[in-house]
Amino acid sequence: MRKLRLVGTLGSILVLALSVSACGKSTKVGGTVTVLFGTAPDSLDPGMAYTTQALEPDQTAYIPMTTYAHVAGVEGGKLIPGLATALPTISADGKTYTMTMRPGLVFSNGRPVKASNFTYGIERALKIPWGGSSFITANIVGAEAYASGKAKTISGITANDATGQITIKLIAPYGAFDNVLAFPSFAPVPKGTPFKNEPTNPPPGVGPYKITRIVPNVSYQVVRNPYWAKEAIPGIPSGSVDRVIAKISSNTTANALSVLGNSADVFDFADTIPPSILSQVPSRASGRYEKVIKNSTYYFFLNTKTKPFSSELARQAVIVGLDRNAIARLGSGFFTPACYLLPPGIVGHPTSPCPYGDPTKPDLAKAKALVKQSGMAGTPVTVWGEMRSPRRQFVDYYTSFLNQIGFKATEKIIADATYFPTIGNLKLNPQTGFADWNEDFPNPIDFYGILIAGDAILPTNNQNFSQVNDPVINAKVNMLGSLYKVPTSSLKSVESQWQALDEYNAKKAYTAVYGYASFPKLTSNRLDFNAATLHTVFGWDWLTFKLK
Amino acid sequence: MAIDSGTKATGTEFSSEIPVELLGESGKLAAGAGPYRLAWRRLRRNRAALAFGGLFLLILLLCLLAPVYAHDIAHTGPDDNHITETVKVGGKVRDVVNAIGLPIGPTWHSRFFLGADSNGRDVAVRLLYGGRNSLEVGTVATLITMVLATIIGVLAGYSRGLVDGLLTRALDVIWAYPVVILGVALGAILAVSGIDLGIVKVRGSSLMVPAVVIGIVYVPYVAKPIRGQVLGLREREFIDAARVQGQSSLRIMFSELLPNVGSTVIVFVPLMLANAVLLEAGLSYLGAGVQPPNPSWGTMISDGISSIPAAIHLVLVPGIMLVLAVLSINVFGDGVRDALDPRAKIRIGR
Repeated sequence: MRKLRLVGTLGSILVLALSVSACGKSTKVGGTVTVLFGTAPDSLDPGMAYTTQALEPDQTAYIPMTTYAHVAGVEGGKLIPGLATALPTISADGKTYTMTMRPGLVFSNGRPVKASNFTYGIERALKIPWGGSSFITANIVGAEAYASGKAKTISGITANDATGQITIKLIAPYGAFDNVLAFPSFAPVPKGTPFKNEPTNPPPGVGPYKITRIVPNVSYQVVRNPYWAKEAIPGIPSGSVDRVIAKISSNTTANALSVLGNSADVFDFADTIPPSILSQVPSRASGRYEKVIKNSTYYFFLNTKTKPFSSELARQAVIVGLDRNAIARLGSGFFTPACYLLPPGIVGHPTSPCPYGDPTKPDLAKAKALVKQSGMAGTPVTVWGEMRSPRRQFVDYYTSFLNQIGFKATEKIIADATYFPTIGNLKLNPQTGFADWNEDFPNPIDFYGILIAGDAILPTNNQNFSQVNDPVINAKVNMLGSLYKVPTSSLKSVESQWQALDEYNAKKAYTAVYGYASFPKLTSNRLDFNAATLHTVFGWDWLTFKLK
Repeated sequence: MAIDSGTKATGTEFSSEIPVELLGESGKLAAGAGPYRLAWRRLRRNRAALAFGGLFLLILLLCLLAPVYAHDIAHTGPDDNHITETVKVGGKVRDVVNAIGLPIGPTWHSRFFLGADSNGRDVAVRLLYGGRNSLEVGTVATLITMVLATIIGVLAGYSRGLVDGLLTRALDVIWAYPVVILGVALGAILAVSGIDLGIVKVRGSSLMVPAVVIGIVYVPYVAKPIRGQVLGLREREFIDAARVQGQSSLRIMFSELLPNVGSTVIVFVPLMLANAVLLEAGLSYLGAGVQPPNPSWGTMISDGISSIPAAIHLVLVPGIMLVLAVLSINVFGDGVRDALDPRAKIRIGR
């Protein structure tokens, strides 16, 4: 019996030792991961950050009151409490949101977090102003007055530092407000942080990591936040690696080759793998490469406020004649030709045929006829575009196409980092150009509320590039957006209404949608490919990176 | 006699013997031969310079004939996209751009002779049009540089004092910035805003924008040597004589000084042309020069960079053209310089 016990004990030790050693072989804690970006972030300051390149690191360092489950697939769109103790409670009229800040939180500089830091963060984002400011001004009571300088604080937000309770009053019910609260721009920042964009010195935040060593347009790092260990927020991983180095290089070919050759670890999903090496990727990166579909729409905006696209016929001509197959080839086959603004993964994506015919069968002759009919033939058009490939090539094709159908088009290509702020300046009044939208959250209001609704037209950082201000759309968006009794999880109940709206939008030809993108998930063989999540909202979820 | 006595010559290239090329067929000094005629004689005997001059003329001719090639041989324009089209090569039908975006390589036929780029545009057509654009920008930039630099150099050198001080400091400010950085900064701004001087308006996408940018950034590099030369010339007797005759400063500058700096200006022309073509390629590569979809050798190299692993011809073809063009201008320019420098000892094989 004793002998048996000894054997049993020895056996247990052996099993334990084997399992520990097996664990050590599969993944390890710590280490450094290198992520390669083709484009610099617009800003790492959460008060300004709005591009995917900025939101990826910011999600690790600026956890907002609500956030998303750190899992792959559609489940990643599920809201979970972030710095709030629970998801907000909503009043019966849908206009008051109440939540409580977790107690004992500290910023990455060691200072305690108070409920009023939440208000400060929002006020700061509004003054900078953040690209999604319309989410604040259009929804929160007193935000517009604060933004315009007529009020000293946002009257609709009250924060009690003693209890941690935060109350937000909305102008009207807004069903996706929980999602809005999940932007890193809504994360608390310390009081006294300047009300200006701080791209090289972003403020302290609450998160597993903090951002450091920023060399603009070149590199930055995220390293462990020493104060995070105390927080332990359920559902939010603390991150496995000690450090993530982000390097920015516009040479996406070199970036992809570096990851293929394992000298870097992660290829940014928002970059396209150049066709010249795409054919070798499946064989060289077996088990560490796949195409992932995320909710995104790629389109050319058509400024409805200025010639020639103030004419509906001229806009129709673009939609009828655009060769989406050609664009799909330029995009290395990562694009699915389409015509509707809402991508298939978003509730409200229409199932009906495109209003102007099969998007894979362009009708150049009809497009030319429509341009003639519109009386806009020969109108000079400036096409705006970004430098990076393949977006530059999209615009090259589009310009050539516009000339083919009777316009007099020339291009204006500007640096990637300044592209959207530039075309988002209303004074510039750009006629047409490249645009895309990756979901901020899985809700059709994220597309319509920002890209198409009339009240989303802003003097700077405007995202409604087509300057659509259609009363029918505005009314419908307000109505559907305000369905507070329809949270994201129950959007299906109003699906037909969103579908009808998207069909109407397509028929009015406000944007020349050409495709939905899939994205490359490519890592080095040092990284645990299955653990690393290409998240539906975050993009690459850096908190899931693990080294083998 | 228009031949410098050589008394001011310095350096090891000085030769006190009468160069053989100045002698006529009989071996005697050609009577009445002006300095430019003599320079032409020297140049004619520099075969390397002539060969490369001929090469440059050939490139120029080919580029000027770009519309003919595009219309009658390739049957496509430089900006026409053929992404989803097919072409028959060796009896097989092939995609101009395949499903994952790889363009076809050289077909050695009239269509897509040198292949296509990622937008399905004919590389040969774009190469010739790109050459036109590169050379046009280079030529206009050189003209701007030479005119401005000559005016500033002569004015500063002859006036001295406050005018010289102001102009020289202004040149120093431009000179203080590296050419490429200054070019990129100016080019990037002007490519977006264009040039608006009230009467003169130039769109950001116009070829004139990089031409003006390049023309301006090189002004100090020519103006300073000219100013130095004028500073020396203004103390010479023939200028004193002109002053004594009551000639105005303007007249002295134009009728006395300008002809005397003419050879310097001519020597600088090919040098600046080569530099301007190179800078245009550099700026276009960086997105601050010729604006797309206009082709230039620089933009073509830039477009082809991402395709190097599978379609290296997209970079090689414009790169080789650029090297040949710049090399031919430089070697020819050296020949012109040697020919115009009466103190130069030229090796001539008889």
